[in-house]
Amino acid sequence: MFILVSLPYFAFMIRFERHTLANGLRMTVHRDEGTPMATTDILYDAGARDEDPGATGFAHLFEHLMFEGTPRIPFFDVPVMMAGGENNAFTNNDITNYYITLPANNLETAFWLESDRMRGLDLHEERVNNQKSVVTEEFRQRYLNQPYGDLLLLLRPLAYRIHPYRWSAIGMDISHIERADSASARRFYDRFYTPSNAILSVAGNVDPDKVFTLAEKWFGEIPAGVKHSRSLPVEPEQDERRELTVHRPVPSAHLTMAFHTGARISRDFYVLDLLTDILAGCDSARFPSILVRKKELFSDADIYISGEADPGLVIFSGRLKDGVDIRKAEEAVTDELRRVADDRVSVAELEKARNRYESHRLMSYMNAANKAFNLAYHEVLGDAAGINTEKEQYMSVTEEEITAASQLTFRPENCSVIHYLPEKR
Amino acid sequence: MKVTDGYRVPEIITPSAGDTSFPAMVRLGNGVPVYFVGNGTVDIMRIEFVFRAGQVMEDVHLAASSANAMLTEGTMSHDAATINDLIDSTGAALSHTADKETAGLVTVTLTRKLDEVMALAAEVLFRPSFPDNEFRMLTDKRVQAFLTGRQRTSVIAREAFYESLCGAMNPYGRITSENDYRSLTTGDLRTFHEKHYRTGNMYITVAGMEPERALPFIDKHFSEKVREGWIRPEVPPLSYETAKPGTIFREITNSVQSTVRIGWKGITRNNPDYQGLQVATMILGGYFGSRLMRKIREEKGYTYGIQAVAGAFRSLGYITIMTDVANEYRDATLSEIRKEIDKLRKEEVSSEEMALVRNHLMGEIARMFDGPFSVAEAIRGVIDYEAGEDYYTRFAETVKTITPVKIKELFSTYFNIDEAFEIIAGAR
Repeated sequence: MFILVSLPYFAFMIRFERHTLANGLRMTVHRDEGTPMATTDILYDAGARDEDPGATGFAHLFEHLMFEGTPRIPFFDVPVMMAGGENNAFTNNDITNYYITLPANNLETAFWLESDRMRGLDLHEERVNNQKSVVTEEFRQRYLNQPYGDLLLLLRPLAYRIHPYRWSAIGMDISHIERADSASARRFYDRFYTPSNAILSVAGNVDPDKVFTLAEKWFGEIPAGVKHSRSLPVEPEQDERRELTVHRPVPSAHLTMAFHTGARISRDFYVLDLLTDILAGCDSARFPSILVRKKELFSDADIYISGEADPGLVIFSGRLKDGVDIRKAEEAVTDELRRVADDRVSVAELEKARNRYESHRLMSYMNAANKAFNLAYHEVLGDAAGINTEKEQYMSVTEEEITAASQLTFRPENCSVIHYLPEKR
Repeated sequence: MKVTDGYRVPEIITPSAGDTSFPAMVRLGNGVPVYFVGNGTVDIMRIEFVFRAGQVMEDVHLAASSANAMLTEGTMSHDAATINDLIDSTGAALSHTADKETAGLVTVTLTRKLDEVMALAAEVLFRPSFPDNEFRMLTDKRVQAFLTGRQRTSVIAREAFYESLCGAMNPYGRITSENDYRSLTTGDLRTFHEKHYRTGNMYITVAGMEPERALPFIDKHFSEKVREGWIRPEVPPLSYETAKPGTIFREITNSVQSTVRIGWKGITRNNPDYQGLQVATMILGGYFGSRLMRKIREEKGYTYGIQAVAGAFRSLGYITIMTDVANEYRDATLSEIRKEIDKLRKEEVSSEEMALVRNHLMGEIARMFDGPFSVAEAIRGVIDYEAGEDYYTRFAETVKTITPVKIKELFSTYFNIDEAFEIIAGAR
């Protein structure tokens, strides 16, 4: 099917080298000579799922504290800026990720900074208190002061009963953050911020051997710590439909439907990721064509896979057109999902999704920082080589697999529904 | 050497802006400028089509953004469903851009799909059909988005700011109502499109690995001659009616936070102080460790973020500071902002702080010119505002040489807080 011209693009690979320090710090290095920059990405294998149910939002609060300086480097940002760099971080339910992008000739500054805050933090009560207040404002700004901002905060505890995915990275309740203190911050740090629980990924205009030497110099003597082993409660299979109705000051109704599915590295992830692209990945996909344009039930209708490390969700999210009954809208979504479970998707649809996957994959490699993160992320999932081998997972998805995964996933008893309705005026 | 005690801090090499040269340009047979931005390691291309067809060119409010959004909703040859299917099947990403000055499309495509994608881009840009049914659906969707924005304190505060600065009749200051959406017709869009989406009114940027490879395909599909009798529309003269300084309160019931936004008139790009003012504004509120971030986020914990911006429209500049804070911190925030500005008007920044911002901005310029896609984005502003091809080279020079004395002078001259509009959008 694929002719010779397409060979170079299918052959595109991210080359990288790997090394593990004696203290367990895993490393990947990718050389990209097309940029004068370099990125260090440090991924800590600790996210909101590792929190105590009574102290949620802690991984994210901790991310803030990582920028609060150490006894040796009181202002983290100063050397980054002096070196012409930028840095940031994010926390999700699975991981916490930090990066610094800076001119490649200042790479050692990034090593100095990252190793320093892995070695020890300044966790004064005052700093902890200030960041608690910043995080509280973040919670308000991003989740409470935004129309529809609390949707995912509502969905998680509905879809999950036991697994820690039942709370968001921002936390189950803002009161949990208020209870944090420097002693609990210290415990969290000691438990998770160790070389054996981290991955250091470097991408950019760098020589891998020199990077490994630098890593040995800066990270080599940090004590390994105790490797954190994770044993999380397994979410039992959902056996009946769950529904939640809320009223909020928003102009139009919104429908969310979430179905449990497999883990990030399961075969179902790739099959359903491709399927959700067929359903709603682009304007000519099924949902925009049928639910938005033809039936005029929704203004937008999206479906995506959460892609979390542990078994995740396939989430339908759509805003209703004014005057549409939400049950009728839900029925139409259910009909479309039944159609993929009953019939096969067309060859043309599958081909389109594959083309789109390929160009999206290449787009994501335009930027070295992205490549650094992706290597680290695949490594924490089990193998950095996943950045290249994953393509085969997507390309080999068949119509039959899509049908089978749809039948397994889109069952009424596997579904959690939120009817998010405008307040009556 | 043991690194845990007494290690040597790595020496920092002063960052340089790198190569900020303006890309090469060729003209198609019909005169359309095409800028080529090379390099890159991945074989995809980003091609952008920019028309001087933004909001300032409108006769009817919302015509510019609506005409742009309707480009892919059906053409003379294909209905909406078919044209979208054709685009999506190539794997290309196609996105609409419409702002105050310009409007157009950006596409990112596999190089081997260039011929198809350029043909489709030309079709949607020059031969859209503006069908009524699709327009009705688009209007409903845009009204919903508009009404959702009415719940956002930041949106309301922004609107109040530009209205105060430019006046309600000015295209930059105009307030949109639901009725503006409802009263617009496909006829308005056709008129706007006919007048502004012309090869005589556009330029193209091509970014990627060996971008010249795209030229034959662009030439093939964009060699349309400008229609006889068509005259390139000039930007209409704009009149500004800046309101008197003062406090403006916009109520958004039940909001848990307020947006606090203050601002006043600044300077335009042709003012020799414009670039220096960028540096000064960064010191105040342009980066994570800025004066305002340190005070209002890190010290007081009032906010998740606060920024200061010195911007400029075509013939009016402005300076603005904005933040979202808990309702109870509104007054304290305003008073801290005033204090920080006052300090910068009175005291020179230290050489350490100067060096910090200098290096940071150098790094920022270097990142703007890192990779062909970023460069293509960076040069757009230069072209659209006719800022001069050496804009970033001059900017790098300004960043390198500006002094604390000059920074203080800039604050004294341009940060006239007594002329500020203070806007608060939130619960009463």
